[in-house]
Amino acid sequence: MSTPPRTQPQDRPDLALRVLGMTALVGVVATVWLGLFVTPPDEFMGNLVRLLYVHPPMAWVAFLAYGVASLASLLYLWPRTRAEHFDRLAGASAEVGVVFTGLTLVSGSIWGRPTWGAWWVWDPLLTTTALLFVLYLGYLALRRVPGEFHVRARRSAIGALIAFVDVPIVYFSVEWWRSLHQAPTVLNPTTHKTYVHGSMAWTLLLGFVSFTLVYIWLMAHRYRLEKLHDLEETQGLEAALEERRAEAVAG
Amino acid sequence: MNAYVEAGYVVVLGTLSIYGSTLVARERAARRRLGVPAGPQGRDVPGKAQQESGDVPVPGPGGSEEHDRGPVP
Repeated sequence: MSTPPRTQPQDRPDLALRVLGMTALVGVVATVWLGLFVTPPDEFMGNLVRLLYVHPPMAWVAFLAYGVASLASLLYLWPRTRAEHFDRLAGASAEVGVVFTGLTLVSGSIWGRPTWGAWWVWDPLLTTTALLFVLYLGYLALRRVPGEFHVRARRSAIGALIAFVDVPIVYFSVEWWRSLHQAPTVLNPTTHKTYVHGSMAWTLLLGFVSFTLVYIWLMAHRYRLEKLHDLEETQGLEAALEERRAEAVAG
Repeated sequence: MNAYVEAGYVVVLGTLSIYGSTLVARERAARRRLGVPAGPQGRDVPGKAQQESGDVPVPGPGGSEEHDRGPVP
């Protein structure tokens, strides 16, 4: 009788990531099923309310991703905690954040067309969100500017912190300026009340949790890819140096 | 069902699926190029390169880490 293969220690992170991916997938499928077929239409918005089971979670994940990128950047800038993995983490999180910000803008636009009668309005919340998207695109471009690793990582970290200034502006823009966009319905900062209940609230909560898991899964893969690229770069550099040494010896 | 609702779900789920698949495919391609079979990178890569690209703390100015990428300005 053969013994089952033992799990090697290096297999555990892979297994954990697979489990996380499956959990996220199940959560998203459940959110879609509840959002499209189980929850009732809204009294005022009708079936359009179903878009709100994905739109606010997109925005939440984008904020979370930028928060993680900023924290990692701060830890990179701090001399005592400076490590390469914080730079990679910041880059990975910001890229996933840009994807989610793009989806926030597009899903909001699709909701806005039948609700407001326009795909886009220069509302403070929409405009500051578009600015956030552009700022982090700029950050990703800044990361690609060639340079010595620490110089590039340091200027990227400063760029990430500057871009993060827009996050609270986006969140409070509905409070600070006259906005067409509705105020937060889950936890309203002014009234401290929740304006969503029952199956709608649970579906929205599930959406928040599921898309957060999707974010973690995507970020983990992006981080691993970044690490592989660094490794590739190091190996390429070593090969080039070996070639030069061989040429020098032969010459 | 409303066409806008369907379009919204298709865009969101489609984009995330494409992005996720692209990341996994790029990761596999990079692993193939480097000859990394599976598992987290760096730990199971033979040779010196794994040490240099691992999660090595980067020293501050005047640091003496063995795997430093270079002086920190």
